[in-house]
Amino acid sequence: MRAIAIALVIYLGSGWVFTAIAQESDSDQVPNKEDQAQNPDKHANTTEEALKKQQQAIDEQQKMINDLKSEVDQLVESQKKVLPSEFNPSIGFVGETIFSYRSRGSSETGSDQPGGFNIFQRSMELNIAGSVDPFAKGYAVINATADMATGEATLGVEEAALQTTALPGNLEVKAGRFFGEFGRLGYIHDHELPFVNRPLVLDQYIGGESRTDGLQLNWLVPVEHYISLTLGAGNQFGGDNPPNFVGEFRQGSGLNYWGRLSTYFELTPDISLEPGLSGLWNPTTLAQWDPAVQDLPTVNGNTHTERERRLAGADLVLSWKPLRNNQFQTLTWGTEVLYSDNRYDITDSSGNALPGRTVGAYGLYSYLTYKWHRQWSGGVQYEWLEDMVDMQAKTSAYSAQITWALSHWNQLRLQYTYTDPNAASGLHPDNAVYMQWAWIIGSHAHGWQQR
Amino acid sequence: MKPLLKLFSVFALTAALSVWSTSAQAGKIKIVATLTDLADLSREVGDDLVEVNSLATGVEDTHGVPMKPSFVPLMNRADLLLSEGFEMEHAFLPALLEASKNPRIQRDRSGYVDCSQGIVPLAVPKTTEHYAGDVHPYGNPHYMLDPVLAKTAVDNIYKALVAFAPQHQAEFTRNRDAYLARLNNKIAEWEKEARPLKGVKFIAYHEEWNYFAARFGMDFYGTVELRPGIDPTPRHIEELIAGMKAEHVPLVVREPQFPEKVPSAIAEQTGATLINLPIMPGGVPQTETYMKMMDYIIHTMVAALQGPK
Repeated sequence: MRAIAIALVIYLGSGWVFTAIAQESDSDQVPNKEDQAQNPDKHANTTEEALKKQQQAIDEQQKMINDLKSEVDQLVESQKKVLPSEFNPSIGFVGETIFSYRSRGSSETGSDQPGGFNIFQRSMELNIAGSVDPFAKGYAVINATADMATGEATLGVEEAALQTTALPGNLEVKAGRFFGEFGRLGYIHDHELPFVNRPLVLDQYIGGESRTDGLQLNWLVPVEHYISLTLGAGNQFGGDNPPNFVGEFRQGSGLNYWGRLSTYFELTPDISLEPGLSGLWNPTTLAQWDPAVQDLPTVNGNTHTERERRLAGADLVLSWKPLRNNQFQTLTWGTEVLYSDNRYDITDSSGNALPGRTVGAYGLYSYLTYKWHRQWSGGVQYEWLEDMVDMQAKTSAYSAQITWALSHWNQLRLQYTYTDPNAASGLHPDNAVYMQWAWIIGSHAHGWQQR
Repeated sequence: MKPLLKLFSVFALTAALSVWSTSAQAGKIKIVATLTDLADLSREVGDDLVEVNSLATGVEDTHGVPMKPSFVPLMNRADLLLSEGFEMEHAFLPALLEASKNPRIQRDRSGYVDCSQGIVPLAVPKTTEHYAGDVHPYGNPHYMLDPVLAKTAVDNIYKALVAFAPQHQAEFTRNRDAYLARLNNKIAEWEKEARPLKGVKFIAYHEEWNYFAARFGMDFYGTVELRPGIDPTPRHIEELIAGMKAEHVPLVVREPQFPEKVPSAIAEQTGATLINLPIMPGGVPQTETYMKMMDYIIHTMVAALQGPK
């Protein structure tokens, strides 16, 4: 096809050249023999001029041919292009390594991260997404995380869900395994968090990422102001902790139910405020904790078994994002406060049942991040939480980070965190330095929740 | 049961509000344009039959309009969504489309209008590997800076409007023809005015000027960015400056969404003139419409070339 196109162009072009030459010849006065005899010099000059003009015309036509040829080349090139949709589904991969130094061992910090120097391949994450049909899209996030103790990478499906795209009534349904919508950072994947680690309160109260096997309905309230309402029901809610041990038989009351209401206020074209409220309820967390897998928490020697899970959250993001150079400068203040109000069955060390109790514990994080360059940003974060089982055990943490993003797909982050548990917790203060290196290859789209 | 009743009443109230709000605006064709150039062109073709909202105000990066939740209700009610095409808006439009929950304007529907239909792209990349930067797989998307190609966009908007509201075809045809006649006159003026620009070399921050340069016979010598979307390295700047000095590049273009520091330093070191040029209407003052923007770009370029340095 390309050969035919070029041949056509050359043929047409040469046609014009000859026509042009012919026109030039016609339009020039052909000197008669008398003139030639009388003025040989003048004749020579005229011929030279005519030749020059002809050469000029040829040059112009040649340029036109070249232009046309390059245009045809472009066209042919663009048609040869392999379209991204032909890579269906689109595939991306995220790698994330955490280099760290912690001043105390995990027995003293209560963390799953060891003391001293450590290199931890936190994410090896494969992202796959594509449309299922005209009515739905599907996506999966498959992650292999190295085991803290053995270093062995275990493959896990973090998300694999179907999401409708064409429901009427401003509705959208998500089903499968996904990060349920609770709060702000619970459903953000590790490498996209504003700091190296997920806030402690989310780790403890939710169980890290808000992973669930469930069904979630989102409704965009049909008014002129943005209001989004989400309701969901699912098997577990939270990452690996607590484990999804559901016993032999479960009623509907054994499922987790959650909801979120969020809105948005544009204070100025550059400043916006996004508040949200979330709630999570599991009426009967019967045997949610499997003693075979994990020790049940104890307070003063008494074992606490979770019977009912109730969690409420309020979050707020205030951001300054100048329209003109938002790729170069932004200031974000994000805060989330959680209230865990779980009910526990209690047994003493001899196995005798004691009266159950409800523990109301608060926890929060608040951070400020500032981007002052396309590649550079930094931030500070304050965290405070009461232990969800033992309110007397309190922990504060202070972090500061600086981030260098060479491109959208390659980012280095240096962070210092000071964690300060109180005496009642039985843990010790800890200094930690982290260096996170995250990179992405292939397709990587930011969804609405990660905006 | 009480909380459920409360919840239900909130739903009922919001549903009633929505019915009221949609009926109050009934009648006009609701258009959402991603960028201000398409908003301007669609106002010209649709005139008082359309209500147009633009996601960008004009000063933003065409690839990085902040995803504001306030766009979502606008898109939710839109009859037509105008996109520049060639994946210009890939960083913000797909997520907004999903959040809009408006099946009428999704990519496979007639309400999604790709205004680049029929335009032969320039600079189609050989690869979409990220070493080439944040490239657009279908080609450079900044065709609107060529006013001749803008006519194709006008025609695409016209076709979409006629398909959506065939009963108004006569009005749309009249409006389109009137605008194209004005645009043709302006193009003739601009081509005349831009004659001194022929063969002139220039650099810009981003690969935004390929179509403009091709139309007006300029030589788009290079970019401040190392690759599209990738900030320059010191070596790149050094090489760019050396090349500009050797080639006597007289103009440095800085688009409004990029910081002035680096372009300004390059201009200073090479003796070139630094000019701030919009890439869509509203990018700088006095450029509210597409024609005013093109006027501004050409006046500023010619003046910078002819004026004292």
